[in-house]
Amino acid sequence: MVEVTVDQLTRIEGHYRITTQVNEEGIVTEAQSIGLMLRGFERFLQNQDPRDAALLTQRICGVCPTTHSIAAANALDQLFGVTDAVPKDALVMRNIHQSLNLLASHATHFYVLWGPDLANPAYRTLLGNYGDAGKAVWDELLGRFAPVSYRLDGVDVPVGSGYVAALGEKRRLHEAISLFGAKMPHSVVAHVGGVTYGPTAADIGQLASYYWKFMDFVEDIALGVSPETWVENTRFASSPQKAVGFVVDRLQELVDASLVSNDFSYAAGWGDVPLYAAFGSELIGEEVLGLPVSMKLDRIGGYSDPSKIGFLAYGLFFKPELGDGYDPASPPESRVIPSGFLNGNLELQKFDHRKISESIAHSFYVDTESDRYPMEGTTQPEPEPDEIDYSRGVESRYSWVKAPHYGGIPCEVGPLSRMLVMKDPLITGFADLFREKGYPVTNTYLRMLARLQEILVVASELIKWLAEDLNPNGKFAVPTDLSMAKDSEGMGLWEAPRGALGHWIKTGPDSKVTLYQAVVPSTWNMAPRNSAGIPGPVEQVLLGSKISVAENALGVDYTNPLGILHTARSYDPCLACAIHAIDLKGQQKGQFRVV
Amino acid sequence: MSGEGDLDRFKNLDFMKMDRRTFLKAVGALGASLFLQTYRGDIVRALEFAETRIVWLHGGECTGCSISLLNGGEPDVLQAFSRLNLRLAYHEVLLGQQGIYVDGKMEGTSELNSEILFEEVIAEKGYILVAEGAIANGPKGTGKYCFLGGKSYKDIFRRTAENAAFIVAVGQCATNGGVNSADSEIRDLMDFRGVAFTMEDRDRGILTEYGLEKPVININGCPPHPDWMLLTLAAVVLGKIKVPDDLPYVLDEWLRPKIFFPPDHVIHDNCPRRGYYDKGEFDTVVSGPKCLWKLGCKAPYTHADCAIRRWNGYHSLCPQSGSPCISCVSPGFPESSRPFFQEIEDAGIVGTSIDTVAKVAIGASLLAVGAHAVRRIAIKEKPEEKGKQPEEKEKKSEEKPEKEEVMPEEKPEEKSETAKKDQGDE
Repeated sequence: MVEVTVDQLTRIEGHYRITTQVNEEGIVTEAQSIGLMLRGFERFLQNQDPRDAALLTQRICGVCPTTHSIAAANALDQLFGVTDAVPKDALVMRNIHQSLNLLASHATHFYVLWGPDLANPAYRTLLGNYGDAGKAVWDELLGRFAPVSYRLDGVDVPVGSGYVAALGEKRRLHEAISLFGAKMPHSVVAHVGGVTYGPTAADIGQLASYYWKFMDFVEDIALGVSPETWVENTRFASSPQKAVGFVVDRLQELVDASLVSNDFSYAAGWGDVPLYAAFGSELIGEEVLGLPVSMKLDRIGGYSDPSKIGFLAYGLFFKPELGDGYDPASPPESRVIPSGFLNGNLELQKFDHRKISESIAHSFYVDTESDRYPMEGTTQPEPEPDEIDYSRGVESRYSWVKAPHYGGIPCEVGPLSRMLVMKDPLITGFADLFREKGYPVTNTYLRMLARLQEILVVASELIKWLAEDLNPNGKFAVPTDLSMAKDSEGMGLWEAPRGALGHWIKTGPDSKVTLYQAVVPSTWNMAPRNSAGIPGPVEQVLLGSKISVAENALGVDYTNPLGILHTARSYDPCLACAIHAIDLKGQQKGQFRVV
Repeated sequence: MSGEGDLDRFKNLDFMKMDRRTFLKAVGALGASLFLQTYRGDIVRALEFAETRIVWLHGGECTGCSISLLNGGEPDVLQAFSRLNLRLAYHEVLLGQQGIYVDGKMEGTSELNSEILFEEVIAEKGYILVAEGAIANGPKGTGKYCFLGGKSYKDIFRRTAENAAFIVAVGQCATNGGVNSADSEIRDLMDFRGVAFTMEDRDRGILTEYGLEKPVININGCPPHPDWMLLTLAAVVLGKIKVPDDLPYVLDEWLRPKIFFPPDHVIHDNCPRRGYYDKGEFDTVVSGPKCLWKLGCKAPYTHADCAIRRWNGYHSLCPQSGSPCISCVSPGFPESSRPFFQEIEDAGIVGTSIDTVAKVAIGASLLAVGAHAVRRIAIKEKPEEKGKQPEEKEKKSEEKPEKEEVMPEEKPEEKSETAKKDQGDE
């Protein structure tokens, strides 16, 4: 048995370690997901004016600040008792704000954070075994996904074209947000009762032009076909089989032409999505399309025990047709991407926020209870240095990340959960196909494909909000007064690009904050063991994974655990969010005990 | 945007040493892109020198400063780096490598293993350390609240700082602790530190804790404008400012470049809603078009060029979007700005006792208007003024503030309109 530790896992937000035990066959037999830092965010919101939360909580995360500010605004709406009255146009603005951030975040993740692993030298070796075609594919991977300051064999490699293009798109999408949100990161527009700014007709026109510019990128660089065609034949396909059929047919055309020409360039129609979709999967690439080699990402990143995992979505984007106001409990019919819980066999159940709880049994906190509903959360960081040891193993406490669960079940959150809950035909179709062929159903390949598909799904809604739903002469906020927040509570359920996000807030008789609690996506995904000893989602998926390139096709290389890297990064981890940490009501000293 | 003529006039100036009036004229033109064009000659010479290595560290932070940096530069930040011959030698969010330990030992090479890369880079010495994020000193001075690659970030930062030529601290978390150091029941337990200051306290900067002296440039802001970061790095790399000799002249007492954080200019001066202020028309509910003073706007005492430079494609500003300025560049942020949505006068000066509240000033323009003639703007006094004196080099800067005056044809502007000047966070 060999211990392989990735510390730090870079190209994510924050500080994170994965420790694995790996056997002689190069298969992970145990995994530990470890958040390495405390920040203590919610504590400084206590005893303060609750309205500051929308601006302050977004400082939890510079990658998805938008999401925190909107989740906080949602929680404040309820706290101030105005959820029924938030104007429709303000809700549309929150949709637009969030969707622009989601597009920027997903593009950045695929190209800048996750993508560079496709330029790992192990792929050069692997693909080099497959003649001119293999070499041509490697050249594309390196040319598109090489990160900053990359060196191979001591030679500087130019930054990848896709990488550079995606950074440009992120920058432009941030400019679009700042048209109404002032700046990114940390835009300012989310506010209790609505938004602080009503856009002009000119702003809307400019937003639309940013949108079309981004769609040019999606068509030319990412997809290789028009986004409209893609959406029509996938999201709006008449059946999951037809959606998968559309993509496979398209890939087959490309493969048939390119296996003759050895041309896998953009000019030959190989956008980054088809290149990934064909070569990422053993089932699609090798078995269906007849490619000689693939990355086999559909062989890793699945859960082995369906009784210990679920897939959760809180629901995202208000439906403009429902008019003013919304239900803070986020029933599925109220959001464009619905809320829902899928059990390990992907059977859908209605979402109930009261089933959310957080465990600290294996986290460095002290409390009288090991599990709490967020609105009852009380937590205190371990104050004794000797008690903080990151290497004591799974029986001990080992992370700053808490372990949330839904009715006792750890859950994966993020685009894959959302697209499955939404029953997107393409992602559902692929999941069905993987199950039928005996592959892990929710694998690393599909997790990434779901993120790419969500770009298309959200973009097709965004243009509708801009062009049809947003009225520049509409109302954008209801008046609020601090006295409306006396002795109150609020819950804000929303979705970050990387998954379900909830904010919970309570106030006292002076309207000051007495409790603030955020349960964030990476807390779900990167969780340690919970109080029942069930490993968190990433800990579960790594079990049984082969650690080296393409299912150890080149043998076991402990120094290049690409399988672990692909899977861990596929969750788009954000540890600053996950360890934003703690909440708390004023607890007396001595009331705590070590759990 | 200024025309070609203006650009020509700025060509041979030492950018960071411009006086404020010159800069105000230049600033619209001198985004990162035009700066690079303007100084192309210097850049060509710079390329003949060895590359400048940047080691970019992340402590207690949200990565927002890195994200903001990536929004900078024309056509993009990577090209700007390349033209300046800057090599991002270490940056954990952007590099291809990751830390890999096999049975507890670093394995592989620096092309795949970021821990090995890091050791190689800091052994070479002489790089610029860009610090993003606060340094966890807790619990009890161990730094265990932030622990990377089996080492505390406190130790990693010390080793990196020791071998650095100098330090550029970007963002509030690194410059002053930022949100990590906001008042809470666990603040002292966590004990997050800024590089040279913790909040307004120089004695509690982590460098003081180490007993280490290194030149520091603070680029404040939550996050900082990408131009502030890029142009500072550019000015240093091109020799437009020499470290440490020029720092006393180009930095303010908080070690911020005066060119971006002008001591005699506040955001309020150029706010697009300023007309409403002068007429005494104020919004009391969000989403209106008027002055945000009664919604808690801190622009009247916030020293930054946001309103001139503007954000994200040079087109936006917080008050423009209907949200009060929260003074995120002030050393005491967020404590000095909370509560954000309460008019300063009503707030009783946030988070501090009345004893620490400094002087008040009467806005001249308000006098003219009459409607708010007695509106007083109270401003927090920095604790240093009571205690120790600013350090020697900062004194020097006060002695010759106009040394680099380069465009004397301009008359000094009317003594500032408002919110001056006894003085707040400056």
